[in-house]
Amino acid sequence: MVIVVVLVFLVIIALEVPGLVKEKMWRELTAFAVLLSFGMALSIPQALGLQLPSPNAPIELIFKPFAEWLTPK
Amino acid sequence: MPEKGKIDSKQAVLLMISMILPTAILTIPAVTVKTARQDAWLSVMVATLAGLLIARLVVSLSLRFPGQTLFEFSEEILGKALGKMVGFLYIWLFFLYIGSGVVREFGVFLVTAVMPATPIIVFLIVVTAVAGYAVRNGLEVLCRFNQLFIPVTGLLVIVFLLSTLDMKLDRLLPVFDAGLAPIVKSAVTPTMWLGEIVTLAMIIPYLSKPKEAHRVAVLSILITGFFLTASIMEALLIFGPNLTGHWIFPTFNATRVVSIANFLERLEFIVIMAWVLGGIVKVGVFYYAVVLGSAQCLGLRDYRPLVLPVGVILVALSILLHGENIVEVLHYIPHVEVPFLLIVFEVGIPLLLLIVALVRGKGGKSN
Repeated sequence: MVIVVVLVFLVIIALEVPGLVKEKMWRELTAFAVLLSFGMALSIPQALGLQLPSPNAPIELIFKPFAEWLTPK
Repeated sequence: MPEKGKIDSKQAVLLMISMILPTAILTIPAVTVKTARQDAWLSVMVATLAGLLIARLVVSLSLRFPGQTLFEFSEEILGKALGKMVGFLYIWLFFLYIGSGVVREFGVFLVTAVMPATPIIVFLIVVTAVAGYAVRNGLEVLCRFNQLFIPVTGLLVIVFLLSTLDMKLDRLLPVFDAGLAPIVKSAVTPTMWLGEIVTLAMIIPYLSKPKEAHRVAVLSILITGFFLTASIMEALLIFGPNLTGHWIFPTFNATRVVSIANFLERLEFIVIMAWVLGGIVKVGVFYYAVVLGSAQCLGLRDYRPLVLPVGVILVALSILLHGENIVEVLHYIPHVEVPFLLIVFEVGIPLLLLIVALVRGKGGKSN
């Protein structure tokens, strides 16, 4: 599973990076790299079966009173 | 400017309908009927009115800054640093959040109701890839794709008419049984869906006639509200409030009931088609908002290099944010998505931006 995910990332890099380097779009390349590494950070642990903390928990806590009013008992 | 395409008002209306309707038509009936019981159709009407107000707010704000998207005029209103922050909040917590949620719901629906033996990741990747291809080719392509396939959603009307044989009007009685409170309460969830019209602030600069934006917004909310009311009515009139509230996809089950002369049966394929095609467009719109917004916030010349990385993030987030299965997905809707997205991003920030713009005298007169 992890190998497939890494392979997908390599394909994405091979598709996009040469064109960006050729056109000298360094700003775009930086944004691409940052977003892609964020995507890696999110997906590779999941492919390894690790449990990442869900960002939903703090949001759920903040809006708890409203959600309790909203949903029937 | 990263986007050069132009779309006309009709395309925009159809795009907005496809942006709201596909997930709403499947998820909303069960959620609203739980609280408002047989009065759920009334709460959708209340929600439609609220949706019109949100649309009015967003379009008025957007028209003060002709030719600018949400990300550009928030910078002009709040100054560079704060405006960029608002832009990033919208990208990461609104567009990406809803986008990954739709990817998730798309997969979960197909796995739960139609193809239980297929791994969900297949659906997640396929829908993101197709939407990503449309997004990479620009707004015009996305709109044309939508224009081509939206008649399928129109077929839902025929299904509704065919299922009238199984309907009994007295299942809606007594009207107004529990009073106003449950109706207003259960109007909140559909309001969040209709409030997704905020995304129109990304599209208005690319309308060929931006002056018609008010009409676009009102028409799309009204048509969506109509379809939503019809789908709830269909489920309620066939099953009554008890059964409808216990089903996960009442509209889907309602179309399964249709059987005319033992010949015209199993019309649920129309719902699946509308859902699959509409789901792709819905993912596409939010996907497009994320990549275009990122490009504008970062001052890039082209948004296309961002399409693939954002697609990866969408798939990864859809698993991380929205739970393992249909039960968790349905739990997060009232507990996280509705209050958070509705209060903060659909009403809070646009209202704040409009007030600040008025106080600081930024932008031209609206209309």
